[in-house]
Amino acid sequence: MRRKYHTRKLLVRGIFPGTLTALLLLTLTGCNNNPYPAGETAQSIIYSAISDDPKTLDPSIGYDVASSSIIDNIYPSYMQYNYLKRDPFVVELSLGAEEPKRERVAVTITEDGTTTTTEGERWTFRIKKGLRFQDDPCFPDGKGREILAADFLYTFRRLADPAVPCPIIQYFDDKVLGMAAYRAHNAALLKHQKPSDYTFPIRGLETDPDPYTFHITLSQPYPQLRYLMAMHFTTPLAHEAVERYGKELARHPVGSGAFVLAEYTPKGRIVLVKNPNFRADYYPTEGAPGDREAGLLEAAGQRLPLAEKIQLTIVREGITNWNLFLQGYQDFAGVSQENFQQVMSRAGQLSPEMTQRGLRLHSEVGLDIYYFAFNMDDPTFGGLSEPNRKLRQAISLAIDSQTLIDLLHQGLGQRAESLLPPGLFGYDAHFHNPYRQYDPSLTRAKQLLAEAGYPQGIDPKTGQRLTLFWDNALITPAGRVQIGLIARQIAALGIRLESRAWRYPVFQDRVDTGQFQFMNYGWVADYPDPENFVFLLYGPYKRPAANASNYNNPDYNRLFEQMRAMDDGPERLALIRQMREIAMQDCPWIYINHSESYGLTQPWLKNYKPHPIALDTMKYIGVDGAMRTHLQQKWNQPNYWLLLGIVLLVCLGSLPAVQVVRARHNRHVRRPSAGTV
Amino acid sequence: MLRYIIRRLLYALLILVSVSLVTFVLFYASSSPQQVARRNLSAKNPTPQQIEEWIHQHGYDKPRWQQFQEHMSQLFLLRFGKSDANGEDIWERIGSGAPASLLLATIAFFGSLLVTISLALAIASFRGTYIDGWGTFLCVLMMSIVYLVYIIAGQFLLGKLLKIFPLAGYQSGVQAWKFVMLPAVVSIVGGLGATVRLYRTFFLDEINQDYVRTARAKGVSEWAILFRHVLKNAAIPILTTTAAAIPTLFLGSLLGESFFNIPGLGSYLRDAIDSQDFAVVRAMVFLGTITTIIGYLLTDISYTLVDPRVRLE
Repeated sequence: MRRKYHTRKLLVRGIFPGTLTALLLLTLTGCNNNPYPAGETAQSIIYSAISDDPKTLDPSIGYDVASSSIIDNIYPSYMQYNYLKRDPFVVELSLGAEEPKRERVAVTITEDGTTTTTEGERWTFRIKKGLRFQDDPCFPDGKGREILAADFLYTFRRLADPAVPCPIIQYFDDKVLGMAAYRAHNAALLKHQKPSDYTFPIRGLETDPDPYTFHITLSQPYPQLRYLMAMHFTTPLAHEAVERYGKELARHPVGSGAFVLAEYTPKGRIVLVKNPNFRADYYPTEGAPGDREAGLLEAAGQRLPLAEKIQLTIVREGITNWNLFLQGYQDFAGVSQENFQQVMSRAGQLSPEMTQRGLRLHSEVGLDIYYFAFNMDDPTFGGLSEPNRKLRQAISLAIDSQTLIDLLHQGLGQRAESLLPPGLFGYDAHFHNPYRQYDPSLTRAKQLLAEAGYPQGIDPKTGQRLTLFWDNALITPAGRVQIGLIARQIAALGIRLESRAWRYPVFQDRVDTGQFQFMNYGWVADYPDPENFVFLLYGPYKRPAANASNYNNPDYNRLFEQMRAMDDGPERLALIRQMREIAMQDCPWIYINHSESYGLTQPWLKNYKPHPIALDTMKYIGVDGAMRTHLQQKWNQPNYWLLLGIVLLVCLGSLPAVQVVRARHNRHVRRPSAGTV
Repeated sequence: MLRYIIRRLLYALLILVSVSLVTFVLFYASSSPQQVARRNLSAKNPTPQQIEEWIHQHGYDKPRWQQFQEHMSQLFLLRFGKSDANGEDIWERIGSGAPASLLLATIAFFGSLLVTISLALAIASFRGTYIDGWGTFLCVLMMSIVYLVYIIAGQFLLGKLLKIFPLAGYQSGVQAWKFVMLPAVVSIVGGLGATVRLYRTFFLDEINQDYVRTARAKGVSEWAILFRHVLKNAAIPILTTTAAAIPTLFLGSLLGESFFNIPGLGSYLRDAIDSQDFAVVRAMVFLGTITTIIGYLLTDISYTLVDPRVRLE
């Protein structure tokens, strides 16, 4: 009995805890913080992060950046952006065999029973021979078949299918002959729950005796079609894939690009691997000035894609991605407000800590504009009457963009003085908008306010201060800072600003239905043509289309109609300048900024150059896997001494308990009758 | 007992219908179908025609009563359909996310039970000493710290300083343990303060009972009293509080999974609310209600196991 008791005591007090501790320590010594399988990071894999699941991988629907950054690497189009060239951006052939040919033709349009003849445009496209879709079970034997011109025309039919909510359909449906009728026909079918009819003719889409050639006829000259042919919306689609997968195409892409989807775990990761059927495509041999010095032409002439695999991890929290990047487990990271001090030195350079790690800093200049807009239908602030125009000009003079840029964007970006961002044809760096020159004394602004009939911001009809209602979607803490700043700036003029912050869908609904006086918005280019910006103030595109302020000046509209069909040249430039002048005087918008941000890449990543429009850029990026493994090991040696220290500290911390137990035991032994409760 | 279970299941039906009705009403009170369509269409400026077509395709143009009727019949048949936001099959998504959530939550759940009960018993056994005082103070201190701090501190200490666990990420299969350890430790430590303090009071209530005094008088050792008698008698309130955690086993934890990149179901409901994806919201609320009801039913049944005096009638 006594012996048995001793054995149990020995087990409980010695062997069990000892074995457990030893096992735990053994397990921990085998641990490391590498989130990838051993040896994987030495391979030619690009590790990138996206903040959320893509909404869809369907190339006819996907529009947000997360979706497009995957779709564009799977689905190529007729044209593509040159990876290196900027200012101007260069669009070159991708699946296309030759530059599309444009010819002016007379077209007849029947609308409301009347037939008119107008000048249209017929485009001829010829694609490369021997292009193949990726291998997929939707094809016979699972082998990707050859891409033909008919696949491009099929794409256009699908874009116009009302059951497929294509976000850029407005660029096509009033221009491609017969597309509106096709949409109406299929919309009627949809209403009766019938499947869409892809055999209904579209006059503007024609095949050719040559299976590699197709034609598109437009009701008006539209040079921007060349850019649209570089968007993933116009990628050739295999009808076999659409028929087999239907809506599942959103998660099952079948493309012909450099990569194919190999794995998709929702909220986890997306893995793209090299497409063995990808066409012969090569790294550009020429770049922009400075590219050679930056080593961006070292891969010139090499077969693409350079990497074997892309692993996109869904990392929802910025701080998690930043820490993974610092450990070397992510190849890219953005520089945010939170880590700005750590990354940048006071001199505006990369901090010594980051330089020492060999990280590279990239400036990413957006092709965009952020602005405030007045509702031009509002009786007080809208309209084209002289007093209301002056009122808007006065408010425009009271808003200081530079303070907003400094406080909200760490001084990055450029003050906007007109619609067009830098890098676009028509942008003028020397232009100064007289109503966007902030003067802290607000002398001119107050004078304009008085001329508008509101001296010192007092409305003579009510004797009260004029109130401007601002609808916005700024519900985050940073957003509230912005609201406070703008309210103070406008209050300095004597006008009271009342902010109404909504969740984004509610805000968008209010904007689209005109329930606002003043609001803030942004626009990011779809393609690098000034038309893609100046159309935001074109009268007929009134809300819920792009012209949310419902600005409608016939002079501006007339000039727009002339310029949109023109090729870049002095004549077009003159029209753009005239439009700029009209919009400046009418002041429907207060231009705030064109964005800029910083990004970081690891030293083992090669040829990275951010492009403000193109997202099919993964094929140009190379990786030095050996360098990555070496640096990851160097940066991530487990710290066992610290672990041991913590274990000791915990043991020391439990000593008082042992002492109390011992004291209690002694008390029991000495005074067994006392009892302790 | 069978009659009791049947009665409870009938109540459950009523609860399920009521919860679904409340979800339905709240959904329509908070947003219009137009707003939902706009949120789920990917365009910058969807055309009115696209909005109308989206509403029609998703059946939001039918009369409300008809929608609710369809909504209830589909839910009770467990046909959750497809997400409004991305057309993904909801069951498929639950199937792909549940294993990771379940693994993490199970480890955290049982680990937390083991650690909190042991610590609470230990502190209770030192009642009246300075260890009890400091222990309670530490518990209150830990309760006052927000969970996010534990996550960031855990990532910093174990992932960045000690470098023994990945900061974030997940791999299925055998490797999964490496990724769930850190979030599980954070989850256990994060909930420690409140639970230990609560369990300590349960144990103290029992320690002051007559049967404990009798046991002591008979010379039963302190450890035997605590583990054999006090623990068993304090099990009922402990079971009641743990039942509340059962739905999170399946539905995941929101913050933890988000920060540790665990591809579970933790953020599924939150994302669906954010994106006004009603199909997912109603399915997840329905599943949440079912798991909660089952959790409490199992707790009631387990009372009969730990306390022979309890009869379910």
